[in-house]
Amino acid sequence: MPALFLDRVANAVLGPLDLRVGAGEAVAVLGPSGAGKSTLLKIIAGLLPHEGDVRFDDRVMTRVPAHRRAVGYMSQDLHLFPHLSVEQNVRLALWFDREAAGERRARARETLALCAIDHRATRRPATLSGGERQRAALARALARRPRVLLLDEPFGSLDPATRRTLWTEVGALRQRLGMTMLLVTHDPEEAEVLADRTIHLRDGRLE
Amino acid sequence: MGGGRWLAGLALALIVLTIVGAVVALAAQLAPAALWTALGQRETLFAVGLSLRTSAIALALALLLGVPAAYLLARHPFPGQAIVETVLDLPMVTPPLIAGMGLLFLLGREAPLGHVLADAGLTLLFSPAGVILAQTYVATSIVVRSARAAFQAVDPDFAAVGATLGLAPVWVFLLVEVPMAGRGLLSAAVLGWSRALGEFGGTLMVAGATRLHTETLPMAVFLNIASGETEIAIACALVLLGLAFVMLLTLRALAGEPSSLSRKPARHARLVP
Repeated sequence: MPALFLDRVANAVLGPLDLRVGAGEAVAVLGPSGAGKSTLLKIIAGLLPHEGDVRFDDRVMTRVPAHRRAVGYMSQDLHLFPHLSVEQNVRLALWFDREAAGERRARARETLALCAIDHRATRRPATLSGGERQRAALARALARRPRVLLLDEPFGSLDPATRRTLWTEVGALRQRLGMTMLLVTHDPEEAEVLADRTIHLRDGRLE
Repeated sequence: MGGGRWLAGLALALIVLTIVGAVVALAAQLAPAALWTALGQRETLFAVGLSLRTSAIALALALLLGVPAAYLLARHPFPGQAIVETVLDLPMVTPPLIAGMGLLFLLGREAPLGHVLADAGLTLLFSPAGVILAQTYVATSIVVRSARAAFQAVDPDFAAVGATLGLAPVWVFLLVEVPMAGRGLLSAAVLGWSRALGEFGGTLMVAGATRLHTETLPMAVFLNIASGETEIAIACALVLLGLAFVMLLTLRALAGEPSSLSRKPARHARLVP
């Protein structure tokens, strides 16, 4: 698993900011609204232009487009594609893998099972409960077994019981898959449960 | 309020009755047997066939050019975009006759572009290809405007998530944005097709009005009214009206509007959950 380095990263909202996340480490990003937490994740995912460098281990990713970064990204609003079933959402992430369609389907099914949402594989996102949508979006983000997982307030809209269940499951998944993870959250308890350490952002800078 | 509603109802009835009256008056000019005979005339069948063929090709061209252009306008703002969008809207607000006149001068043998086309052996003016050109010209404008609105209605973060799944921009466009804007794009296609099918002024200037050569449905109406052969003119007009009615119903269905036959009037305005 790669370590993640940010070297003097800045844009209109963020930084300049230096950050090092160790290989397999989970870091929670806390801070008030507008602090630049989501912007930080989007920069790492390659979705926003910026100054400075983003590196995965020794590889400078700054000019690598988002679709070549092998990052798992789960946005705050999940953005499950409404015209596709849950399984099709996951299989879209495997669309260009060089393996037979049957194998891709099996891998999608395996990831759905990993996230305990395989029983809803044929359903459209609009017909799922909040917790099920969260699991489906997580399965899609994990489908390619990304080197770095970025979660942007993934559990904010859930009831406390479902949220705690998902904390446990995501924690177990991270241990099992050994991913480097950045988690944006407003909830110190969530950060405590899911992350190895916590950083605080305010006005685009680390406190 | 009661009096106001009564007056508005009267205005609505007046508008609907005028439209229905014009259609009924048109249809009443021919007995069913005479209409059937006129519909079977070689000239009518030619006009229907040419209109359907040319408008389908024009629609395909309009979509091919218009959808990527609309995507660019919706997703990648650039300096001077307002000017470009105003230029794109021009064919919608100027009389097609003027557009046709411009195309005629642009593609005429004396014009540089027309000269190049003539040297390449391409004959656009006064041919069925000219019909397609005129129809594409007007349809593209509508397709661009409608498709742009359809793409703007899709949250761009879906495309961002698509990119993080390993999809290159062209695949994000084809597998995420086009399907998500699908209903709006279908509406754009229906609107563009109906505009192409009804195109007259531009076609008259660019392709001319030659029987059984560049005779689309609107051209057949014009030629036969001018020569006093009203049966074929009325038959062609009714075919156009029928096609327009089907297209409008399709548009309503695509927009998800419930059938007014099954809708009960709401007593009070309410928020849709």
